[in-house]
Amino acid sequence: MPDVASTHARLLVNLHERGSQEIDLTHDRFTIGRKPDNDLVIDDPAVSGHHARLLKIQSVYFVEDANSTNGTAVNGTRVERHQLRDADVVTIGLHRLIFRDGGAAAPLVPTEPAASADETMVLTAAVGRRSAPAAPVGRIVVVQGKTDRRDYHLTKHINVIGSQADAAVRLTGWFAPKNVAMIARRGSGYSVNTTRTAKTLLVNGTEVKGQQDLQHGDLIEVARIKMYFYLNNGR
Amino acid sequence: MTPEFVHSAKSDIGLKRAQNEDRFCADPDLKLFMVCDGMGGGKAGEVASTLAVHTIHRYLAETDSFNNAHDEPHDPSYSEATNRLAAAIRHANRVIHRESWTRADYAGMGTTVVAARLQDQIVSVAHVGDSRLYVIRGDTIRAVTQDHSWVAEQVLEGLLTEEEAKRSPHRHVVTRALGVQGTVEVDLDEVPLLAGDALLLCTDGLTRRVSPEDIVRTWRAASSVEDMSRRLIALANQAGGEDNTTVIVVACGQAVEVGRWERWRSRITGSRH
Repeated sequence: MPDVASTHARLLVNLHERGSQEIDLTHDRFTIGRKPDNDLVIDDPAVSGHHARLLKIQSVYFVEDANSTNGTAVNGTRVERHQLRDADVVTIGLHRLIFRDGGAAAPLVPTEPAASADETMVLTAAVGRRSAPAAPVGRIVVVQGKTDRRDYHLTKHINVIGSQADAAVRLTGWFAPKNVAMIARRGSGYSVNTTRTAKTLLVNGTEVKGQQDLQHGDLIEVARIKMYFYLNNGR
Repeated sequence: MTPEFVHSAKSDIGLKRAQNEDRFCADPDLKLFMVCDGMGGGKAGEVASTLAVHTIHRYLAETDSFNNAHDEPHDPSYSEATNRLAAAIRHANRVIHRESWTRADYAGMGTTVVAARLQDQIVSVAHVGDSRLYVIRGDTIRAVTQDHSWVAEQVLEGLLTEEEAKRSPHRHVVTRALGVQGTVEVDLDEVPLLAGDALLLCTDGLTRRVSPEDIVRTWRAASSVEDMSRRLIALANQAGGEDNTTVIVVACGQAVEVGRWERWRSRITGSRH
């Protein structure tokens, strides 16, 4: 194996409403918390005094929750202790810490593929683990018509508007169609899609044929329901 | 009413290879379509892709009547059907991985997989590796899957251009495959379907040589899904036939006509359409 110049792992720190910074992890222990004796001090009441720590054991980093009140998550899943891989996102309250492994950050060149260059082969290094940045979540506010709530968060990849049991926006009127329209999430945006029901779908008064991207503040009308679509950055 | 969808599947050994390591499954009853591209020495590639196709199909056929049979992780942002598809693929990963330890010549075998399962008006998509799913809508084509390949990741990071990626000696290196490790991360997606949409599932034998633009052009010229799959295989072989090529084309039905009853009822209730 060729010797790779050892670069330090880094932490890209993105503190909520307090900007970003980049920290080189030069020691085997890095503490995070509200109290001033931590390596990274986050002055936020939602953060425990000693909240979490990063530990380097041989060449591997771990994040460990220090019995904090509100917990520590990696890539959206709450953890007690977790081995960190390149591009893992550690979340503490609304603050995000992105772990970059020094070794993996350098361009990684696989060894020459076997004899036949057209033979598919697998590279089993832990590359390709790239957690998607948290995209803003869309909201629907119903202003007219029969639905089970007024306000919906569009957390699914496909949010069905209709009377069916797993609909994201649930219609409760008599004869309400099972699936009258679908709002699909793609990357950081949303689109609204017609379905097989023969109901007219309007966005800002104009009929949609097939699919249309949604903008913040769009008025959607379908099956005698009027609702606004909101997409706020932040909260 | 026209049928909901029609499909055509074809697999071809190509012009240079001694064996076909691609496998596919097209089951209109389960509304399940998938292609796998096996890799490994000797027969191992075929063994891995065959195991994947059978295991995933059987898992879905058997668990359809009850939920979450194997206590699998569940992502609430996806539908039940999509979560079940992911569970089936993770199960296949374990089966192939276990099998790879039973014989010396199976060591390290693996396979790509791209699978699509149609629900009412949504398609669930899951994939591992560099086999792809495209959605063709009118004159546009979109790759729903993002290759798990070394070159695709370099392009994403901005370290290689698309053109450099095509010529790279590392273009055959996949960064994720079924069976190579004990666990696997499965990429998921869901796409709303419209009448007239077509799905194309394919192995890299097609995508390395035939551009998305050529695929749309072929779709416009094709007289049926049968004709489309035949033309795509011919294009791949015409461009060299270096690899095995497998394609599944699924065309979604035309819009259901608004019946007389629907028109009459809407007149009474006063709703528009």
